[in-house]
Amino acid sequence: MSTRTRLGIGVGVAAVAVVAAVWFLVLPRLQPHVFYGQVIQSGSPAPSVELVGPGGAPVALTDFEDQVVVMYFGYTFCPDVCPITLAKLDRARTMLGEDAEHVQVVMITVDPERDTVEKLEKYTANFDPSFIGLTGDIEDIDRIATTYGVYYAAAETDSAAGYLVDHTSTVLVVDRSGELKLIIPFDATDEQVAADLAYLLG
Amino acid sequence: MTRFRAVFAVTSVALVLTACGGGDSVSVEDAWGRPSPMEASNAAFYMQITGGGDDDTVVSASSEVCSVTELHETMMDDGVMSMEERPDGFPIPAGETVSLEPGGLHVMCIGADTLEVGDEVTVDLEFVEAGTVSVVAEIRESG
Repeated sequence: MSTRTRLGIGVGVAAVAVVAAVWFLVLPRLQPHVFYGQVIQSGSPAPSVELVGPGGAPVALTDFEDQVVVMYFGYTFCPDVCPITLAKLDRARTMLGEDAEHVQVVMITVDPERDTVEKLEKYTANFDPSFIGLTGDIEDIDRIATTYGVYYAAAETDSAAGYLVDHTSTVLVVDRSGELKLIIPFDATDEQVAADLAYLLG
Repeated sequence: MTRFRAVFAVTSVALVLTACGGGDSVSVEDAWGRPSPMEASNAAFYMQITGGGDDDTVVSASSEVCSVTELHETMMDDGVMSMEERPDGFPIPAGETVSLEPGGLHVMCIGADTLEVGDEVTVDLEFVEAGTVSVVAEIRESG
C-alpha cells in the first residue's frame, strides 16, 4: 500500500468521523423544538369562540390577548377521560413555573343542556382555579366544534347516567398571536404537553 | 424409586393444595377514585382485580356514595372517546389481573356525593362465584 493510498484512507476515515460528529452531536442542538402535538400552519387567526363563561359573563377567544389558550371539549358528567385530560393539563401547566400565568386552559362543554355555568365553574376549579369552563347555545357550540374539527354526539344508553356524550378527546392550542397552532392527542404525557407549551411561550 | 415416587406424590398434592389455598379467592388491590367536586355528579373508581382459582365475573357494584353504580368501559376510536355500560360485567379469568384504570374499564358512580381527597369509600363488588367483595377506595388526585 503506497503512502498516498494510506493517506487517502486516513483522510476518508477522518471525513467520516467529522460527518458523524456533526450529524450526531451538532445537528440535534441546532434543530428546532420538535412538537409532540400536530402542528397547524393556519397563518390566520383562530376561528372565533364567543360563549358564556364564569358568572354568566360573555367570553371570547380574543379576550385572552398574548396568552397561549389550551382548549378542550368535554363535559362535567364525564367521569373518566375528561378528568384525565384536565388533570394532565394542570400538571403540565405547573411544570412551566411562573410562565404558567400566560397559559389559559378553557373547557368548552359538549353538553350545554346539563352543564350550567355553575356546574362548569365547580368542575374546572377542581383541577385548577384558573381554568374556565364555557357553555352556550347548542347552535354556537355546534358551530365552534365543527370549525375546530371536533366531533361530538350524545349517545343514548340504558345507563342511569342518561345520555353520554362521545367526543373528540384532543386538546387544541392557540398561540400568543391568536393562531391555532397545535392539536395535542389524548395520549400525550405531562412532559410532552409542557414542552410544547413552553416552546410556544418562547 | 417407589419411595421417591411416594414422596413426589405427597409433595405434588401439597403443592396443589397450597396453590388452591393461596389463589382460591379473588383479590382486589389499589382501589381509588378522583375527587368529585359537586353533589350529584359522576365519579369513577379504579382498581386491580386478580382472579382466584376459577374464572369469575364482576357483575355489579354498589356504594353508599353513589345513587346508581354501573360497570363501564371507555373506548378511544380515532381520537373520539366514548363510554359504554358493560351490562354483563367484567370477566376476571382465574389467576389473572384485570386493571380497572383511567381510559378503560371502571366502576361508574352516578350521582356521587361530594368526594374529597383523603375520603375512603366502600365499594361492594358482586362476583358470580366469589359473591360480594368489599373494597375501600381512596379518593386521591391522580392522572
